[in-house]
Amino acid sequence: MAVINVRVIKAGAGPRNEVPLNIAFVDKKDIIAANVSDEVVIHAIAKEINGPTGINIFDMDAVTTTSDGIMVEGAIVKMAAADMGKVHKEFGILEMEYMEVTDELIAEEPHMLQWKKSFEGRKLFRGPNPNKKLIPVHNAVMTGRAVNNNSATEMMNVITMEEILLPILGQLEIMKDGKILIGSTGEVISVGIGMTVAEKYGRVFPTRQFKAGETAHGSGEFAKTLKKHIPIIAASKSVLAGYILKALKIGMIPGLHIGCSPAVLAVAKAFGSDIAIDNISEQAAAELGSVGITMDSLRKCCPKLSEQEIIEQADKIIPGVDAPVLLNSDEIVTRLLLNI
Amino acid sequence: MKFMHTKLPEFIEKLRTAAIKNLGENSIEIKGLESLKTAKMQSLRTGRIESAVEELAMDKDISKIEVIVMPRVPETMHTVIIKGIDMNGESRKAILEVINIIHPTEEVETYDCLEVEDRRPPLGKH
Repeated sequence: MAVINVRVIKAGAGPRNEVPLNIAFVDKKDIIAANVSDEVVIHAIAKEINGPTGINIFDMDAVTTTSDGIMVEGAIVKMAAADMGKVHKEFGILEMEYMEVTDELIAEEPHMLQWKKSFEGRKLFRGPNPNKKLIPVHNAVMTGRAVNNNSATEMMNVITMEEILLPILGQLEIMKDGKILIGSTGEVISVGIGMTVAEKYGRVFPTRQFKAGETAHGSGEFAKTLKKHIPIIAASKSVLAGYILKALKIGMIPGLHIGCSPAVLAVAKAFGSDIAIDNISEQAAAELGSVGITMDSLRKCCPKLSEQEIIEQADKIIPGVDAPVLLNSDEIVTRLLLNI
Repeated sequence: MKFMHTKLPEFIEKLRTAAIKNLGENSIEIKGLESLKTAKMQSLRTGRIESAVEELAMDKDISKIEVIVMPRVPETMHTVIIKGIDMNGESRKAILEVINIIHPTEEVETYDCLEVEDRRPPLGKH
């Protein structure tokens, strides 16, 4: 008999009761230590919670990328959805593909240079292999009312149709018992999540569809409204700033190597880093302009801040998240002790 | 394709008949096909569904049948046609778009059943 400690955010949790379904976070290390399979643990969580639940399994020693191409420590390696004590036998579980980082991959995906310079030797996981999944388009799993989508960074109750965004950095802070920012996604992040990088087996797209400098949205003024009112659990802005700075310091250029999201652009501008403004597509520029980030404003000089100053002033520098509430994650995370 | 597929109205009538002959009028409700105007339904499965309706209708403990049709794969891809029509009612321009729709799985309909017998073939088989 082994005990696995599962972090759980219960449906209805949050300062405004905004969490629409149960969310369970499991460390792969604990599963290995218990000498059981991921599936055994997923089914045990499903039975124990007995309601709509998204379940994510993490390898905290691996690395992954944010949608705008920033490499971060910790990765989701398997995602699941459960409801009524069950996990759908065909659509309930999906694993992320282990990606070997080779010179060829770096040549195709220049933001992978972050691995070479900062994370060499760490396993890389992003999205699933499309040939190993049954859902035709989305990287999603579902059982009953529960849907876990976009490689486990967006979950919903498909009956109430309430949804929550779970950017990877916020989930990793929960796994580290750190601080989280909970609020409404707002217009800036609605725009930002479209500013992706081209990745094979990416979190949202299985092929290299949208390069740095482009937008996956392509909907002009409408992009900022797409996720505006949906709740979000993100990392604190100082944590986000730290990872963006790490990428900038090794020469990643927003709009060329990494995505031109408002958060990346704001940190790059404050740090005085190069921004590939001329490589930002007209459509991406229109969406950025709709939330007040014009190409002219990016060209204007501003006082350069140090790394420390940017981290300390991250809340002022990085836009995004409406009505934010900064919490210690244990204020909304409960523990489920699974006896297996 | 005449022998391979069944017309939508014929499909509905077959299921109604299989229920009504055992349980009487108003004993069957068919959900999930409301937005279909025309369709050809797979004949092979039509016979099996008719048979399942009849099987339950003949059960002495059952007095009403519900038939619910929902996507087998809970993500469906749809073409969206955005049409602009002029004052004379003539279509001037159409823009084609696509939208993927995520659906709940069957548990949301079977959660209250004492028994669920899954007769579906694996995905990719008829």
